[in-house]
Amino acid sequence: MIDTYSRHRPLALLAIVVVAQVLLLAFQIKGEHDVRMIRYWAVALVTPLERAGTWSFSKVGGAWGGYVGLRNARAENERMRTELDQLRLRNRELESQAAEVQRLSTALNFRNAHTEAGMLAAQVIGSSADPTSHTLFINRGEHDRLRVNMGVVTPDGIVGKIVEVLPNTAQVLLINDKDSGVGALFSASRTHGVVRGSGDPEPRMEYVVNDEKVQAGDAIVTSGEDRIFPKDFPIGTVESAKPGSPFQVIRVQPSARLDRLEEVLVLLTQQEVVFKKPEVPVAAGAEAAGEPAAGAPRAKTAMANPSAAPQ
Amino acid sequence: MGYMLNVGERSDPNVEVHKFYSGAVLAVCLLALVFQAFLHKYGRWSELIDLPLLVTIYFGVSRRNPVTGLFLGGTIGILQDALSHDNPIGMYGIAKTIIGYLASSIGGRIDTEHPLSRFALVFFFFHFHQIILAITQRVLLNHSAPLFTLRLFLDSLMTAAFAVPLFALLDRLRRPS
Repeated sequence: MIDTYSRHRPLALLAIVVVAQVLLLAFQIKGEHDVRMIRYWAVALVTPLERAGTWSFSKVGGAWGGYVGLRNARAENERMRTELDQLRLRNRELESQAAEVQRLSTALNFRNAHTEAGMLAAQVIGSSADPTSHTLFINRGEHDRLRVNMGVVTPDGIVGKIVEVLPNTAQVLLINDKDSGVGALFSASRTHGVVRGSGDPEPRMEYVVNDEKVQAGDAIVTSGEDRIFPKDFPIGTVESAKPGSPFQVIRVQPSARLDRLEEVLVLLTQQEVVFKKPEVPVAAGAEAAGEPAAGAPRAKTAMANPSAAPQ
Repeated sequence: MGYMLNVGERSDPNVEVHKFYSGAVLAVCLLALVFQAFLHKYGRWSELIDLPLLVTIYFGVSRRNPVTGLFLGGTIGILQDALSHDNPIGMYGIAKTIIGYLASSIGGRIDTEHPLSRFALVFFFFHFHQIILAITQRVLLNHSAPLFTLRLFLDSLMTAAFAVPLFALLDRLRRPS
């Protein structure tokens, strides 16, 4: 062993001296990025070791963590599933509330836009137990100044009228109930008729002669003659029309979603009310003749329907 | 002159190591560096001869001790770098360290006293020295240094020719055994 060492000592010394001078050169020389080569070599030498060490630690740590974590995975999974279900439920509640807010906002805007008649918002709290009867119960009653024969509407169109008033509840007869009838006319031709319920989801417009040209999609509005609803308020549109005897058989698609009512507006007045129409320029001749401006509200104190007198 | 042409003392790697007068090695090495730097300012012709390289080879083959040879070569090379303008220190040091080691190793194996052998030895060591320098410059300095050119060939012939009388002159500094 000593002979081997002594035999190779000069070679080892040569290597040491050469390496020392190479390091000396590396300390002086700067590479492309203005970094001393000695620093570049040191980083290049150490970086693979650091990467290997980091990789090893991450693998070992990951394996251990996977084992330990797996033991709690089931419980955490159950916990997260429960939390997810709760969040979904909460989300649905919030969506429902948001939709309700939207509806109420629409109703409020409608009420504020039509200050000609007092309105009271009410929520639908129930419907009739009889499948052949189309009625609703709302959460307003006598204590809220409701009276029989007050009209019930939504911003989309008319809904029905109050037929029974209890202290804190009222029953509403929908326009598609067989006992319901609303004075109506065609918006375009101004032909009068009556929208009467038939027990089906769609009411019908009656007393329209066969000569009258009626097409699907024609708008039907209130005539105001029943003194319950304001004039020219949407009822619905013609769904189908065919000749009959002696009058046409016209099916009406209500404007208001009678099967999805949640909030409604009760017209607190029992006087004839005409909602204002959007302002239009008045012709000079018409104004000079003394005709009132179109859409101007007018109220009559005379009650056309004695049964609707306030109690 | 006959002395130079004679086969001379037979080189015995196991026995004979030439010794020099005290301070002779140091003085010759310093003089070689001084002359190399001094003569340089009188023209490019001085680049034809590499005195430090000759001194390294001579003392390497004479001492026949690889350890001594590599340290001597390294010292001479580093000093030569220090005396240059833009050479990083260590460039000639590496080359002459290796040359010193090889010269010392070879000195004990072949006849280095004959003029022809000295001429051939210097010729090959010159080119080997140049190869080491070129590799060092290419790897570390990123310079495209030539490995072999006609100019280098002529330089090697000049250096080898100059080495024969120089080595004969340096033989006078040997301490008689």
